[in-house]
Amino acid sequence: MVGLSVGEKHFIQGGISQDLRLDCRKRLTYRPIYVETGIIPQAHGSARVRLGATDVIASVKAELGKPNALQPDKGKIAIFVDCSPTAAPMFEGRGGEELSTELSVALERCILGGKSGAGAGIDPTSLVVVEGKVCWDLYVDGLVISSDGNLLDALAAAIKAALSNTGIPKVDVAAEMTGDEQPEVNISDEEFLQFDTSGIPVIVTLTKVGKQYIVDATSEEESQMTSAVSVSVNRKGHLINKLDSEIAAAEASEEE
Amino acid sequence: MRGLQLPLSQTQRIRLQRAFEKLQSLSSKANSDASVTVADTIPVNYEDAFLKGHGTTDLNGELVATVCGVVERINKLVYVRGLRARYKPEVGDIVVGRVVEVAQKRWRLEINFSQDAILMLSSMNMPDGIQRRRTALDELNMRGIFEENDVVCAEVRNFQHDGSLQLQARSQKYGKLEKGQLLIIDPYLVKKSKSHFHHLEQFGIDLILGRNGFIWVGEHVETRDGMVVDQANSSEQSMVLEEKNQTHTPLEMRQNICRIANAVRVLSTLGFSMDADLIMETVELSSSLKIDIHDMIGSEFHVLVAEREAERRSLMGKRRR
Repeated sequence: MVGLSVGEKHFIQGGISQDLRLDCRKRLTYRPIYVETGIIPQAHGSARVRLGATDVIASVKAELGKPNALQPDKGKIAIFVDCSPTAAPMFEGRGGEELSTELSVALERCILGGKSGAGAGIDPTSLVVVEGKVCWDLYVDGLVISSDGNLLDALAAAIKAALSNTGIPKVDVAAEMTGDEQPEVNISDEEFLQFDTSGIPVIVTLTKVGKQYIVDATSEEESQMTSAVSVSVNRKGHLINKLDSEIAAAEASEEE
Repeated sequence: MRGLQLPLSQTQRIRLQRAFEKLQSLSSKANSDASVTVADTIPVNYEDAFLKGHGTTDLNGELVATVCGVVERINKLVYVRGLRARYKPEVGDIVVGRVVEVAQKRWRLEINFSQDAILMLSSMNMPDGIQRRRTALDELNMRGIFEENDVVCAEVRNFQHDGSLQLQARSQKYGKLEKGQLLIIDPYLVKKSKSHFHHLEQFGIDLILGRNGFIWVGEHVETRDGMVVDQANSSEQSMVLEEKNQTHTPLEMRQNICRIANAVRVLSTLGFSMDADLIMETVELSSSLKIDIHDMIGSEFHVLVAEREAERRSLMGKRRR
């Protein structure tokens, strides 16, 4: 991110305290959000979300795998975020790794719930095909193409849109199953099952600049922040998670 | 034009297209020969001796363009000027830049050019206004004048032999820019004009159109005449700075700055050349239609501005005849 002079920083802080930000938004106004789904035909589900100059893509790939021995009735979901070097010069090489890990962990906590599985947005038991033997592994990948602040909100929206666009192929299981043998499965090319995404939460990040909170900060405003709070809320209005992040380190605290 | 990233409804799309078609028909009558795309032949009289400039190449005995742009002819030189290229500086241009480095006896500024521009300490007026040789003490106090990330307005002085740019800030109207915001647009939208500094009196706002595509919109600062601030008064200056920290820009001025900034954004999205008059007209259009500042970057206002510009140019054309 390009640096800001003292005068400009002062101007940004003044604007936020007077409820008129640099791009003339109010403190609690989002930038216009553009969502496109189905942009990657080879993936089972995909979406692109644009929030001002922030541009992220999420894609969902489903593969058949073996469920975890400790949880034989649940499928597996993995969320991984990659900050592309095209987004910002500091992401070049391994520069984006820290931020990628932070975002991946935060999104996993919000969408997959805590260790016990409570508070998850997706029900993993819906992903099982044959209990103990075959289940769906969902790989959700997020890619940050352009970064202008508020990546967490954009990624959460993209994942929610991608999952709503996802079609899991229908699987026919061969009738004979003896003991430990892997059952034969027939993956249908035509029929797809839609995902139930009503439980997936939306994340809203509030950034504190001076004495006020703003929503949807641009990267210039984020450079002036003292702290930020991200809250993920699901359709029923339940607070699933509250994440506090400081500029230097990210600490996620669980609260249900 | 160039795939606007705006959510336009069907009627808005049609209106916008119509406005653009009108503008194209008005402007391209004179210049239709001049614009070329890659591999177009450039119409040249091959018997005259001419020099092949940038953007052209000799292909099978014909002069062919290698970039998309406009053919320019200066005396015997024929070249193609690309439209969306990086900023191409000329001597005497006003530019707005950001300090990236404080080096020995010079500042390095980023001006959206292929290289960083250099502002020599000797090309700056000393704060006390006296013309004197720069001493070692002046060198050590360079950060007191401009620090890293400061926004500076300067003029292009000359090109070095290695192609890098040298700037100067000798007059009182150049210098550090504070209390405002910097907007970045494409450089080709700012055409050379008589004045790039605009003091908008009714708003009390300074508008500086840098030819490199950096536009500064900020509070008006009186040009200081022989400001006497030397080392003894520097403590006073730091106190003034602290007071500044408590006094923010008043809300009304901030709203005006925002309105002008949004007008610049709308015009740059539509691809219209930046001109202080055009910006003022756009601002007046928005306030006369009582459009909220935030809605200025919405699709409806974009369409209105395009239509207004098409009307204005057709009126100008009729007046000429």
